[in-house]
Parts: sequence; structure tokens; C-alpha cells
Amino acid sequence: MPSRRHFLQLAAAALHAEYAAAETSRAIAPLAERKPHQTPRAKAMIFLFMDGGVSHVDSFDPKPRLQRETGQPLPLARPKLVRADSSILLGSPFSFRKYGACGADVSELFPHVGARADDLCIVRSMAADHSEHTAANYFMHSGSGLQGRPSMGSWVTFGLGSPSRNLPGYVVLDNSMIPPGGLDIFGSGFLPASYQGSLFRNAPQPVADLAPSETPERQRAKMDLRRQLDRGALTRFGQASQMEAAVANYELAFRMQSAVPELADISGETAATRRLYGLDDPQTEEFGRSCLLARRLIERGVRFVELLSPKRDGFDRWDQHANLKTGHATNARATDKPIAGLLADLKTRGLLDSTLVLWSGEFGRTPTAQGSGDAIGRDHHPYAFTCWLAGGGVKGGLTYGATDEYGFYVAENRVHVHDLHATVLHLLGLDHKQLTYPFSGRQVRLTDVHGEIVRPLLA
Amino acid sequence: MRRLASALWFGAVPLCAQFEFFETRIRPVLASQCYSCHGPEKASGGLRLDSKAALLAGGSRGTALIAGNPESSLILKALSHRDPALKMPPAGKLPDTVIEGFREWIRHGAEDPREEAVSMAPQVAIDWDRARRHWSFQPIRSVAPPPTAGRTSIDRFIRARLDAAGLTPVAPASKAVLLRRASYDLLGLPPSPDELRAFLADPSPRSFEHAVDRMLASPHYGERWARHWLDLVRFAETGGHEFDFYRYEAWRYRDYVIRAFNQDLPYNRFVTEHIAGDLLPRHEQRLAQAAGHWDTPIGAGYLGLGEERNGATDLEEVRTELRDSRIDVFGKAFLGLTIACARCHDHKFDPITTADYYALGGIFDSARTTLGSVASPAVLERTEAALARHPAPPAPQPKPLALRPGDELLALDGFHVSGSAFAHPAPGLLDSSRGRSNRLTGIMISRGFVPVHRYIHVLVAGTKFNPVREEPSLLGVTIFAPGRYPKGVAGSGDRRLRWKTITLKEEINQICHLEIADRLHDGHLAVRAIVMSNVKEPPPDPEETLAALAGSPELEAALPVEPFARVTYEDVPRDLRIQIRGSHHSPGALTGRRFLQLFDSKPEDYRDGSGRLKLSTDLTEGNNPLLARVLVNRVWKHHFGEGLTSTVDNFGRTGERPSHPELLDYLAHGFIEDGWSLKRLHRRIVLSDTYRQSSEESSQAAALDPSNRLLSHMSVRRLDAESIRDGILAVAGSLDGGALGPSVRPHIAPNQDGRGKPDSGPLDGNGRRSVYFEIRRNFLPAMLLAFDYPSPTSTAGKRGVSTVPAQALALMNNPFVTRQASNWARRATAAESDTGKRLDAMFQAAYARLPEPAERDGILTFLHNGGAWDEVAHVLLTAAEFYFVR
Repeated sequence: MPSRRHFLQLAAAALHAEYAAAETSRAIAPLAERKPHQTPRAKAMIFLFMDGGVSHVDSFDPKPRLQRETGQPLPLARPKLVRADSSILLGSPFSFRKYGACGADVSELFPHVGARADDLCIVRSMAADHSEHTAANYFMHSGSGLQGRPSMGSWVTFGLGSPSRNLPGYVVLDNSMIPPGGLDIFGSGFLPASYQGSLFRNAPQPVADLAPSETPERQRAKMDLRRQLDRGALTRFGQASQMEAAVANYELAFRMQSAVPELADISGETAATRRLYGLDDPQTEEFGRSCLLARRLIERGVRFVELLSPKRDGFDRWDQHANLKTGHATNARATDKPIAGLLADLKTRGLLDSTLVLWSGEFGRTPTAQGSGDAIGRDHHPYAFTCWLAGGGVKGGLTYGATDEYGFYVAENRVHVHDLHATVLHLLGLDHKQLTYPFSGRQVRLTDVHGEIVRPLLA
Repeated sequence: MRRLASALWFGAVPLCAQFEFFETRIRPVLASQCYSCHGPEKASGGLRLDSKAALLAGGSRGTALIAGNPESSLILKALSHRDPALKMPPAGKLPDTVIEGFREWIRHGAEDPREEAVSMAPQVAIDWDRARRHWSFQPIRSVAPPPTAGRTSIDRFIRARLDAAGLTPVAPASKAVLLRRASYDLLGLPPSPDELRAFLADPSPRSFEHAVDRMLASPHYGERWARHWLDLVRFAETGGHEFDFYRYEAWRYRDYVIRAFNQDLPYNRFVTEHIAGDLLPRHEQRLAQAAGHWDTPIGAGYLGLGEERNGATDLEEVRTELRDSRIDVFGKAFLGLTIACARCHDHKFDPITTADYYALGGIFDSARTTLGSVASPAVLERTEAALARHPAPPAPQPKPLALRPGDELLALDGFHVSGSAFAHPAPGLLDSSRGRSNRLTGIMISRGFVPVHRYIHVLVAGTKFNPVREEPSLLGVTIFAPGRYPKGVAGSGDRRLRWKTITLKEEINQICHLEIADRLHDGHLAVRAIVMSNVKEPPPDPEETLAALAGSPELEAALPVEPFARVTYEDVPRDLRIQIRGSHHSPGALTGRRFLQLFDSKPEDYRDGSGRLKLSTDLTEGNNPLLARVLVNRVWKHHFGEGLTSTVDNFGRTGERPSHPELLDYLAHGFIEDGWSLKRLHRRIVLSDTYRQSSEESSQAAALDPSNRLLSHMSVRRLDAESIRDGILAVAGSLDGGALGPSVRPHIAPNQDGRGKPDSGPLDGNGRRSVYFEIRRNFLPAMLLAFDYPSPTSTAGKRGVSTVPAQALALMNNPFVTRQASNWARRATAAESDTGKRLDAMFQAAYARLPEPAERDGILTFLHNGGAWDEVAHVLLTAAEFYFVR
């Protein structure tokens, strides 16, 4: 009679075989669609990464008491480690009003996004761990402040694969503004390279080595000759699933050569659509194009799309240590209408229900001032900030969590970045505790050893 | 007695009385009113109040307590219910007498004896006897091969398991297939047509042996195997993070490794040099004769090759992370142990305690990696001889300094001095020109110290130079704190001594070090005095100008260049405190420096300096079986595609058990017997019949052993990134044979972007092998990256083998590939006018075989239909057979 031990061994062997089979199939077809852990609420995700850190008290978290006491010292104990000597309260230079049936508070920076308030799930109680850009960028993306860990998009495509046959599963749309930390922010870390973010530039040639230096006919003729040689090699080498994958890979690359230009060619979009994204306005054109490409990527079955802030002369990124008013206004002007356009367009096309949209920086900004006079600004602030979600599976028209009266610390319903990650994965059908990869002798997760799903955000 | 008294007294209230106060007035309140929400079960607001450290660390609102300052302490604010947003306990305000007690306790310094947090579950102690029984911790046995058939011992070990599984080994590979395989394995390059021809024509039964010996003697061997090693130590030439600062001279470590492999430096010696090369007696140190410098001290420079942090806020956190990288790499690369897992808690699976982690951390923290002159005695003698022929002008009498009360003159005697510039200073003056030539270079490095003053005033003259934001300094007097930008001063472009001031802020109360450096061949730095002060204004200007240089063109011509390299020095030995849950905000018990408890290491053996020398002997001579086992397994992995233990960096309990444990021991034992010689180990492995098998998998094997762990045949493997690129260069005839030396900048693709973006290098990398690429963490060579070049952040004993479109796109469209194809076509056409013979030669070069008739026909048809030879060459370079070996 088989003992319990024997049974466990069998079970372990079966599990191992299943794991090995999964790994083999990943090696051959890394982006083949994979079954989620549970029923997903969203199929795809768009991450609007607001590099530099948007000030929460100037955008989605109005603070009347901060406003009243502007110029006075911060009456709270500050964290031990702060960067600059900023302890004087600074009220927001922007006015707020209520938007939508839900009555969400949104500042004058975001009138267009505000108008979509009933689609937004605003989280005012975010908290992160790092107060400098690089570590904070890594942390927001990978759940670790260190370089070399897999990014959220890598985990998602690793877990789910990607439906697109002609495009990578995780695409980052770059506007020549790579955030501090470099491309490793979108890296696959210890996951296979198939899951790294592919950078598409907002440029005529979005991808490296995409344009052949020869005519399609010559390229096809060479492809055919290569295939003949490869067929012979496959027989000669015998056992070679990896080699088969390499041979098949030329076909995907070949298709990408036309799929990417087709993606980037927006001449078929109507004038109304272009206006919706702000393509008719030089201020919004650049980010509007990114937002439109994001929709087109989602339509083409790409699993995870990330957008980076546009380049604004003098006010690149949201990092306004100085000139808060002009800088935030400039960045908001460039992104507000395109983002609202994206939300509206997704909704019209019935894609919003199956697409999760996340808007967030790597941290917020201090409710206290840095500098003085007209050039006054705010410092980095990971202790409390705001993000919002919209679309697939989240409760629209909700404002969740709260900061204290100054917006300095989280006062209720704290949502740590790990919790956000757990929630995002959950909405995409992935259990953050099951989505693991062996590294350094343990099963590593996006959420490390933390993370709770924030259920009140779920629709 | 005085010392004892001051230790026992704190402020006005005796410490024992303070503790008593805490035990009677404070602890009962915390335990009854606070722990339930801020204790082991729950940490509301991220705050725990059940240990001193946690209280100081605070929660999401920041530190809960500022000793000596009750009014600024959040805990008192919460208790007093002054702030409507912060009232604790929430159920109601405590009696005023209790609150007064807290106020008084905080005012007197908040003495708190609670070193350890209240624990929910008692820590499960490691069962050492049981843990030591783990296979990889067993002594290496001298194992006799089984009595199975087989030509070599390796074959008999392999055969025994195949027999047991009912499998038979396949036939040997053809000579050409074997040579191509061995050539890529040993050299990372395809065999040249001449080598192939000679080998095929050699009828001797020992022809393969001769070919292997030729390859092991080739300088390309070191280039190939050094690259494997560089993966283990996360080698890079920049610091990554935000600005990706360049690290001067980091490439010399790469050359050091290449030389070590080519010289077959015994591995135990190689490891000793990595841990404590600088501490070995002079007669045991090796020179890199041709390069004119000491080689041995460069080994331990690997410790400082990890990522850095730019502009950090929390310097202690930076120090913690730098240390973690060192422990992580040390554990995995040498021992196959994930020691870094024990940072926050005892290792969950392996017998590695948190104390082990901080004990090792203390060793590494007691050493400093920075730049030093490694000039050989011959080079320094040439310098001194040249200087002796040009006597220095008489040194002027230094004018007295008018120091103020509280000013402290920094003594320079504890500095580590290297190079000739500061070797024989005149009294009261450091002058890098020694009065004669700005060509002299040198560097002085202080030990770690904790600055307490706010200003450093330096009386300095020489080259005007803005200190760069990267370490180490090029020229000037510079202070460094980990994670902060260095701050430094230099002269004003003339020989007038002037006071220059460094203002300290974040550096105060941090462990810093000072460098006095002139590494510029046309630079000058003269320092009369370094004064630490709390006064912002420097002391009065003595109004002194140095005499003009007394050099000559002959002297300039006679002075050699002194090489610098990144080396590791002893610093002030220091033990670390355990960081509870890995947080430097929660310091625990002090841990004496030592190696792992698993190997019975004791702090009393580690009292000599940092303890690195003892650590090196514990690694190489002690009862530690991991060093040889792990290395032998790595070599096996690179020859067969999979290690005998597939988790090459993890020999702990979560790692895989070896497929052939006796073989692993046999190899490890033989390796040690052979004097830790890698070349002999290669020989032993590649000359076995197991290595010489063909890759034809039997249907039986496919069914019974699909992952080929039993090695019934050779596995098909994709080449690694470097071999693909180097192979293209070699076949195209564009490979530059130049070995060693400064790196070549890689070509930067248009879509590689970000801060610290360097200028792009030449498209073909000047034809140099990929190991000579400059490795910038944030701008890794794009083509290598597409083929799984590992991120240099941790030990990568096993690279990924992925399939991504970027690979096919690069091979199809990257101008490097298409241009090399054209080069190849041009050379092949010039060398051979006959189409058939040209094709033969090209197939020999790329695949070490002749074309099949069908292939020949296919290509001729392609040419006939308008195809060009450039295109044929391109197809041959990008067909799968080119970048796979069997």
C-alpha cells in the first residue's frame, strides 16, 4: 500500500512535471496566452506613469487647513529622513471643485480628467518607501527599491502571456524622457528576457533594428533561403525545441516590421478622434499621440502598456522642487486632455470594462514648501500621495482613503504600493501570492512578502 | 575609573535609576494600553511600541519619540490629546500623572532597556546536527569510479546511471562537430578553417587531445572564461542608479581575471586574492609584468564593483545595501549559498543565521575599496631614478599657521599612500609635483572617520579642478560619504596657497573618508594643511606661493606612467549590530566578525585587522567543501549546458541535489589534488567520451530522460551573446586580436536613452571581442542584451536563454550584422573565385562543415535569381545553425 510519504512524493513529482512543462512551453512560446489564477476583471492594463511625482495636495487631495495655515510651520513631527529643510506649510495655488455625480474633488489642473470623475477610483492614501526618484521608480514598478527586479508589466506578461501575435506583450511608450533608474525600470530582472518592456519611441522608428535596409522582396527571398537552411539544421541537430523557437522568432520579427509601422500610422483615425486626444493642439499633441497609441496597442492585443511623461522644456517630469505653479500647470496641460480622451475613447469602444488604467507617480510632493517667492516648489513625499484607477473591475466614482489635515501622513485606509500591486494583479486575474519565480533560493513575488488586495476598490 | 563612571551616568540621573523609572512608570502603561495595536500582533500606522528601536523608528508619521525633547515627541502629543487628529489611546485620555511620567522619562533621555521586540512565536532554533547533514556540507570524498564500462572515470560514473535507467550512450560526434563544440566552449570562437583542416588531417588517436591543449594555451581561453567569472561578480564599469557614473580603472579587474585564467592561477589562490590579496606578503604577490603593475591586489577590488546610490537621503541605508551586495555576491559566487537571505531573519532553509550575516558584513565593512596606484617596483624605480637626476629645489620654510581655538589640524600619518606623487613629502607640504613635474601621480586615502566639525579648511594650491561627482577623485582633497556626492577642493590654477573650505552637512556623524589625489598626468595638487573647524571662515591667509617648477623636458620624457586600479584596503576594524528585521532603524546585538557558524568559525580567530586574511584561509583551507564543489560544477555547466547540480549558485536546501553526486565529488577531489588547476579540470572533462558524444537523442532517451540529466547524448545549446557577436567578427575576418587594455565603448542604439547616456562607440567595436566592451550598467551593449546578457546586479552563474523578437530583428536588420556579412562576402570573393569552392569555404568557416547538395542548389538558385553574395553571407550568419552548437 502506498504510504502517505510516497503519495506526497508522487504529488510533488506531478507538480514538478507540471511546472517543468509550463517552463518548457514558456521557452518555446513565451507569450502564449496562459490561464489566469482566477476570473480576470480586466484583460489588459495601461499604466500612466507620472514620472517625477505629482503633488497630491494640488491635484486630487484638497486640504483646507493647509490652505488656511500656509506660511506657518508644520505642526507635525517630520520623518527622520527628509531631503530638504522644508517645514513651512504651503497651500495649493490651484483651486478645487467637485466633479461628476460622485462629487469628487479635483483641482483646476485636471478639468478634463475631472469630467470623467464617475469613472475614477481615486486613492488618496497611497504610501511608498523611498524618497529619491531612482529607488522610488524601481519600487513603484517592481516592489523593490533595488535595480534588477522584474517590473509589474513583466510579471503580468509572465503570468498571462499576451494575445498579440505581432507585437510584444509589454510595451513602454517613451517620449524621450526615461525616468531616473534607466531602462531597468521596465526590465524583466530575473524573469526571462521575453517579458521585458519593449520601448517604443514616439518617433518615426519606434523600435531598434525595425527597418530593413532592403526591399521586402529581397528580405523575403533571404527569409526563404534561411528557412531552407534552418529546416536542414533542425533535422541535423535533432532535439531542439529552443532552436525551433529561434527559427519561428524570425517570423514574429518579420511581422513586427510591418505591425509596428501599421500601429504607428494613425492616418486612419477620424478627425473627431484626433481632437478627442488633443492631437490638434501643439500642447497636447505629443502625449495625445502616446495615449492614442496606447488604445491602438490594446486593440491589437498587447497585454500591458506603459506611458511616460512628455518632455516639457524647463519643466520635464512632475518634479517641481521649484516653480510648482507653472511646472505642474505645464505638465497637466500636456496630459489632462489626452488622458481624458483615452478614457472616453476606451469607453465608447467598449474597451474600458476590460482595460485597467492606473495613473500614478512614484511618490507625491510635500505639503510644505521648498524655496520661496514665485519659484516656490515642493519636495519628494512618499509618506502620502494619490493615485487613481479606472476601468476593468474598479469602482468608479469612489474616493478612497484619507490623509491628515495637511496631507502629510496617511490618516485612514493606508494603501501601500505592495497593496496596489496585489490589487492590480488581482484585477488581471492573478493571485500575487501564486505568481512567483525562483530566484536566490526562494520563490520571489512582485509583492515580496507583503501586499493585501484592497477590496473596497473593487467593483 | 573615570571612564567607568561616565559610562554609568547619563545626564544627571543615574542610568540604573532611569531603567527603574522605565520599568515602573512606562513599561506597564505601554504593555497594557498600547501593545495590542502597536505590538507583535498589529502595527497600526506602521508603528510598534514594543522595543526601543521600534519606538525610535516610528510609524508612517515618523519617529514617535525624540529623546530629551518631550514636546516634539509624537507619542506625548498623542497621549496628551492636543491634536484632534492624533489622540491615543483612542478610548480616552490617560490620567495626567501617567502623561507627566512620559514627559519626564523623555526629558531625561527616554532610557529604554528593551533591545529585542516582543516576539509572537519563539524563533525556531537551527538544528545544527541535522543541518550539517545536508549533502553539500559533507566533506568531499575520494570516490572510486564504479566498475562499469567506460574509457575515463567520468564516463564510468555517467555510464553507471545510464545503465540503471536502461539507456545507452550515443555514438561519438564527428571530428568537425567536436572541434566546433570545444572551440566555442573553451575559446568562445569558432575554429578557423586552418585549425579545422589541420585537425581533420591529423590521423593521430590523440589529435583531439592536441587540439584541446592548443586551445587551453590560447590567450582567447582566458577571454572566454573570464567572462563567465565576470557574470558571477556583477562586473560593470559604472555605478548604475540615477547617473550611472563611470568608474575609473574598473576594466583592470577584467584584465586581472583574464590573466589569471590564462596563467591557470590555482583557484584557491585566485579566491585568496579576491578576499585578501592586498594583505598577502610582498613575496606572494604577483606582478602583471607587461602592464607594469602589481596584479594580486586587484582581485579584491571586485568587492567595490556593485551598484551605487546617487543622492541618497538615508546614508545608513546605502551602507546597508552596499554591504548586502557584497555578502550576496560573496555567498553565491564562492560558496553557492544564499547568505543574503539571512539579512532580516535566520535563513528559512539553510543553517545561516542573521548573526552570520552581520558577522560577515563586519569583515567587509572593515575594508574599503577604492583607487590606488599599483605601479610595479620597476616603474616606481624608474620614476625615482629620473627624479634623482633632477634634484628638487630647496623646500621653503612653511609659514606658521594661525589656528584658532577649536581648530584641529588633521594628521596625515594614518593615510594609505600609493604612487610617487606623495611618496616622499617635504616637511609640512604635500606637493604632487615634488617641485619638478606635474606628470607625477599618486593618491592618499584616509581610514574611515566620523567628522564632527562643520567645516574642513584646506590650504591648497595647484590645478583648478572641480571635483567630479563620482568616486574616486581625480584631483583634489575630497571627502566621501557613501551615497552622497563627494565634496572636494583643489587649487586655483596657480602655485599660490589659498584656503578652500568644504562645508559638511549630511557627512556629519557618518563614516566618511578623505582622499588626497592627483591622478592627472598634467595635474598639480599641493596641500599645506587640512584643518577641521566649526568656524566658517578659514584661518588667516599666510600669503605663501610655492616656488616655480624645476622640471625639464628630459625629466618629463623619462617619467613612466603609473597604473592605477581599484583595490581594497584595510579600514578601521568594526563589528556590526544585527539589524532586527533587516532594518537599520532597529539595531540589535553586536556581532563579532567571523565566517559562518556552520563551519565552526569563531570571532577570536578574526581579531587580526578586518579578518579578511583569516576568511581567505577558512574558504580555501578549512573544512569547507563548497569552494571546490561549486566551482567544479560551474565548469561542468559551461561544458554541458547544465550543471551536475542545476542550481549553480545555490547549493543550499532549496537548490537541486546533484544528478551524479559521486562524480561531483570525484571531480572536486581531483581538482584539489591537481593543485586547483582549472586547465587540468577542463582537460579531464572535455577528453571524456561523455563530452565527445554526438547530440543525436535516441527515442528512448527522449521518453525516459527528456531533460538529458543523465547525459545519454550532448545537448544542443544556443551560443551566449558574446560568442554570437565574436563568432560573426571571427567568420567575417574582422576580429581584432588585440588583448587586454582599456574598454571599447559599445555602439549606443538610438532608442537607448536616459541620464548619463554616453557617446556612442564604433559600430563594430573596433573588431574587439565582446569581453572588452565597456560595461555601463544603464547602457548595456544592446546586441548583447538582446541575447540575455545578465543585468550586473547579482551573481548570474546561469544566464537566461530566451527567445525575443529583438534577437531576430538585430540579426536581420542591425547594421553591425549586415556590414560584417558584407565584409565576409568581400573577403570570401577575393580569396576564392570559384563559386563552389567559395561556398565550401564559407560553410567551413561558419558551420565547420561542407554544404549539403540541397543547400548548395538552394544558394545557387538564390544567386541565380538576383541574390548577392552579401546576402548569402548574411543568411549564413543568421541561420540558426550559426548560433547554436551541438
